[in-house]
Amino acid sequence: MCGVTAEPAVAERPAAPAIAPARRPGRRPGALRVLNLLGAVVVSAAVLYAAFFPAPGLPALGPAFNPVTGGWTMAADAQVTDRSFRLAGLEQPVRVLFESDGTAHITARTDHDLFLATGYVHARFRLFQMDLMRRQGAGRLSEVVGKAALDSDRFELQLGLLKTAQLEWQQLPASDPGHDVLLAYAQGVNDRIDEARSTHTLDAMFSLLGYEAKPWTPVDSLLIKGDMTQTLNFTDTPLAMALLTKSLGADLANEWFPTLPPNQQSPYDTGPYARPAVAPIEQMPPPAEMLSGAQPLYDRMAALPAGLISRGGASNNWAVAAGKSASGGALLAGDPHLHLTLPAIWFQLSMESPGYHVAGVSIPGTPVVLIGHNEHIAWSLTDAQNQQTFFYVEKEDAAHPGMYFWKGDWKAYTTLSYDIPVLGGATEHLKVRWSVHGPVISQRGQTTSVYWTGNLPSQDLSVLLAIDRASDWGDFTRALRGWLSPTHNFVYADDRGNIGLISAGYYPQVAKGQPWLPMPGTGEYDVIGTIPFEDIPQDYNPPANIIWSANQRQVTKDYPYYIGTTTNFFDEGYRANEIHRVLSRPGKLSAADMQALQTDTRDFLAAQIVPVLLRSLAKEQLNATESAAVDLLKGWDFRMDTGSAAASVWWYFWGYYVFEVFEPWWKSRAVKVDKDDVWGALTQDLETWTLKDPENRAFNAPGVGPRTGPDAQRKTFHKVIADLSKGLGSDPKSWAFGRVHQRVLENLAQVKGLNYGPRPDGGDANTPLAAGGYPSTHGPSWRMVVDWGSRTFQGVFPGGESENPASDWYTNRVDTWFAARLDPMLTAEGAAATRGAKSWEAHP
Amino acid sequence: MRLYITLLLAALATLAAVLLGVWWAPFAVGVITGAVVGRARVAIPAGAVIGFLSWLVPLAVAHGRYGLGPTAQALAAIMGFDHQPLVPIVLTLVVGTLLGLTGAWLGTSVRGVVAPSARVDAARNR
Repeated sequence: MCGVTAEPAVAERPAAPAIAPARRPGRRPGALRVLNLLGAVVVSAAVLYAAFFPAPGLPALGPAFNPVTGGWTMAADAQVTDRSFRLAGLEQPVRVLFESDGTAHITARTDHDLFLATGYVHARFRLFQMDLMRRQGAGRLSEVVGKAALDSDRFELQLGLLKTAQLEWQQLPASDPGHDVLLAYAQGVNDRIDEARSTHTLDAMFSLLGYEAKPWTPVDSLLIKGDMTQTLNFTDTPLAMALLTKSLGADLANEWFPTLPPNQQSPYDTGPYARPAVAPIEQMPPPAEMLSGAQPLYDRMAALPAGLISRGGASNNWAVAAGKSASGGALLAGDPHLHLTLPAIWFQLSMESPGYHVAGVSIPGTPVVLIGHNEHIAWSLTDAQNQQTFFYVEKEDAAHPGMYFWKGDWKAYTTLSYDIPVLGGATEHLKVRWSVHGPVISQRGQTTSVYWTGNLPSQDLSVLLAIDRASDWGDFTRALRGWLSPTHNFVYADDRGNIGLISAGYYPQVAKGQPWLPMPGTGEYDVIGTIPFEDIPQDYNPPANIIWSANQRQVTKDYPYYIGTTTNFFDEGYRANEIHRVLSRPGKLSAADMQALQTDTRDFLAAQIVPVLLRSLAKEQLNATESAAVDLLKGWDFRMDTGSAAASVWWYFWGYYVFEVFEPWWKSRAVKVDKDDVWGALTQDLETWTLKDPENRAFNAPGVGPRTGPDAQRKTFHKVIADLSKGLGSDPKSWAFGRVHQRVLENLAQVKGLNYGPRPDGGDANTPLAAGGYPSTHGPSWRMVVDWGSRTFQGVFPGGESENPASDWYTNRVDTWFAARLDPMLTAEGAAATRGAKSWEAHP
Repeated sequence: MRLYITLLLAALATLAAVLLGVWWAPFAVGVITGAVVGRARVAIPAGAVIGFLSWLVPLAVAHGRYGLGPTAQALAAIMGFDHQPLVPIVLTLVVGTLLGLTGAWLGTSVRGVVAPSARVDAARNR
C-alpha cells in the first residue's frame, strides 16, 4: 500500500493541497467505499458468471470466444500445411498426403501404423462429429447439450447400443485382426486429442459447448457402427401395423399393407430358390392384446429425434459385367442415400500398407473403408430392408413381480442400471430390464420388449477389414458370411470382368405368428434362426450381364422365406425399375452412362400414371390454366428437372392424390399412424389401383360417396392447379420444379446458420437421383463409379473433408456434387503429382 | 514513471497469460493492478484497456496469419447472426474489456475498503 504514496508519477508533480474527496452531505466516505465494493462485486460476479458459465442459448463466453483457445482457433485449424511431427505409438514413419480438395492418402510401412494414422487423420478433421456419434450411441448427449437430449439418451440406453458394443469388444478375440486394428485406431485418435489439448486446437465446437473430448476406446468405434445399424434398420413398423389393423380392421390392413408388393418390381435374384431350411411361418390371428398397447410406444418413438428410427432406405448400386461394358472391363456404380449433413457422414481416403491397398470412403470413428475399391475388386452397398426389428408383448402377473412368462416358466428380468449426466440438471438414473427377446422399451399399458438384430454382438468390423483385403468373389462372400447387421446389398465388380450382388446379413425367422405385428413373448413366436447363407438373395455373373439394387425386394413371390412386408421394409421399386430399364437397353455401357444414371431424374411412377391421368381428364371441363397444365403434362418426358413445370404439377398431383384417397379413411377410422410412415405402401396400392383396378373400394371412402379412380384424379387435379396458381402464379409455364423443390445439407450440430442451401435440385423419391421430402435433406451421400477396363475410379460426396466451417474443405465438393460431376479417386502417387498437395511426415 | 511501469508489466503479464490459454487473466491481473494502483480513475480505464488489448493482440495476430473472415462468419452463424461477422469480433473484445475493467474495479474497491488511508495518502501527495 505504501507504494501508492511513493508513486513517482504522482510525487514528481507539484504538490497540491490536500483536498478531501467531494461527497454529498449526509453520506460518510466509508459507506461509499462499501457501496463501491458491493457494486464491484456484483458486476464482477455477473461478468465472471457470463464468462465461465453457459446461459440458455449462449455458451460460456470466456472459453468460447477468447482468441487463443476459443472458437477463433477455427482459423488456425482450417490451415493444412506441410509438416513433420511425432506420433506416439507409431512403429515406422508414416506419410499422409492431402490433395487440394482434402482427400487423404495414408501410406504406412506396417498395418498397425496404417490404422493408427487413420485414427489420427479422422480425429484431426472430424473429432467433434465422432464424439457426437459415440455420445448418441452411449446415451451421453445430455451431458453436453442438456435435457433436450434426455429422451434420446434414455432410448439409446434402453435399446442397448452401449451394452452391445461392450459385448462385441469383450468377445473379440485378441487373435482377430480387428482387435489390433481397433486399438491402433483408438491410439491414433487419442494422439490427436492429446495434441489438440496441448496446442489449444481442439475443434471449436468443444469450446463453444464447453467440454473436452474424452479418450477414445475401441468400444466407441463399435458404438458408431451401432448408430449406423440403428438408423438403417431399427423400425417401429410392427407398431404401426398393429395400429392400422386395429383402426382399419384386419381385412383392409391386410389388403393395403400386404407382405408381397402388389405392383411391378425388378428383383435382382429371380431364382430358382433352394428348398427352405426353416419351415414357413404358421400364421394365426393376432390376439387382441397384441394390438392394444402399441399406441403409447408408437407415439414415443415418433417423438424421438430423426435418425433413431429407420424410416425406409434409399440407395442405389449396380454393376455391369465385361460382356456389356464399352471398356471391356466390369463397371460398378454406387450411391448410398443418407441424411445429407455437414460435415458429411463420409471421409474419403486411400490406405496403403503391406496388408491393405484400399481407397474409398470411411465413416469417421471407424477404421475401415466401407465403400470403395482395392487392387482387384470394387464394392458398394445399399440397405437390404428385410425385417430386423420384432416386438414382443411380455406376459406378466401380479403374483410374479419382476418376472415374465416364457416357455412355460417364470423368468426374472435382467436389470441394468445407468447414470445419465445432464448439463445444468441432476443426473438421471435409468434402469433397463431385459427379457430373452431383448430390452423392455415400454411398460405403459403392457410390457413390450424388442428383438433387434443390432443387438446381436457381431464382428462386422472384422468382416469389413476382410472385404478391404479381398481379391475375388470367393474372398468377398467368405467375408460376408460373418456379416450380421444391417443387412446390405453388397454389389461387386472385379478386375477380371466379374460382377455379383449379395444381400448379406441376418434374416430372423420365427416359427409362427405374424412378425409384422407385435407378438406374444411366451416363447412360441420367438426368432428361431436365420436364412442359411447359401439361400439369402444373391447372384453372380448373371446372363444379362447386369445386376442392380435400390432397396427393392430382392426376390420374387416364389422366395420361400419371410423377409418383410411392403410396409416400410422395402422400397416401392420405382428407382430399381428405372435403373433396370436403363441398364437393360441394347448396346454397351460406359462409365459415363453410369454417371448419368446416378443423376437420372426420370420418375418411373410418373411415366405410368400421367398417361392415365391425361385419359381421365380428356373429357373434363378445364379452365385456361388447367388446360395449359395438361399441355405441359402431354409434352413431358417424366424427368424431375429443376426447369420442368410439368414436374411441379406431377409432384403435387401425386401427393394430393394419395391424400385425397386415403385421408377420408384415416379420418373416419381414426387411424393414428402418420401417413408418411406408410407412404411407400400407400403409393404402391394407389399405383396398382389406378393402373389395374380403378373401381377399388378404397376410392369409395366413407363420407365421399361412390366414385372411381378417375373421379378422384379429376378432383385432385382441379385442387392442385388451383393451389399452384395461388402459390406460383397463373402461368403454368412458370412453375419450374426448382421453385418448389430444394435441397438442404444440414449441419450435424443442428446449427442452422451452418447449413448449406436451400438450393434447387431435381429428382424426387422415385428417381435414381433420390430427393424425397421438402426441403429434401436425404439423398446420394457418396457417388462412386468404377471402370475396371480403364482402371478409372471416380467419386464425390456433398460437403468436404473438414467439419470446421471456416475451412475451405467444409463445403468445397458441394458444387461438383450438384453439377453431377465426379472427381478422380487417385492413388497416393497420383495425388503427389497434383497441384496444391500437402504432405505430413509422422515419425515414431 | 512507476505507475506506467506497473501498468506496462500488468499488460505484458496479461498478454502472456492469455497467449498461454489463461483467458481470464485480464480479470486476475486487473484485480492486482487495481489493488496496487489504488486510484479508480487510473486503474479502471487501464484495466479495461489491458483487457481489450490482451484479447485484441492475439486476434490480430491470428488474422494476420490465417485471416479471420471465414471464422468470424462461422461464429456469427453459430450465434444466430448470419452474415454479421462483426458480432463475434465485437463480442470477443467486449468480453476481454469487461474482464479487465471489472477486475481493476474490484481491486481498487477492495483496497478502498481494506486500506482507505492509502487513498488519503495518495491524495495528500498529489
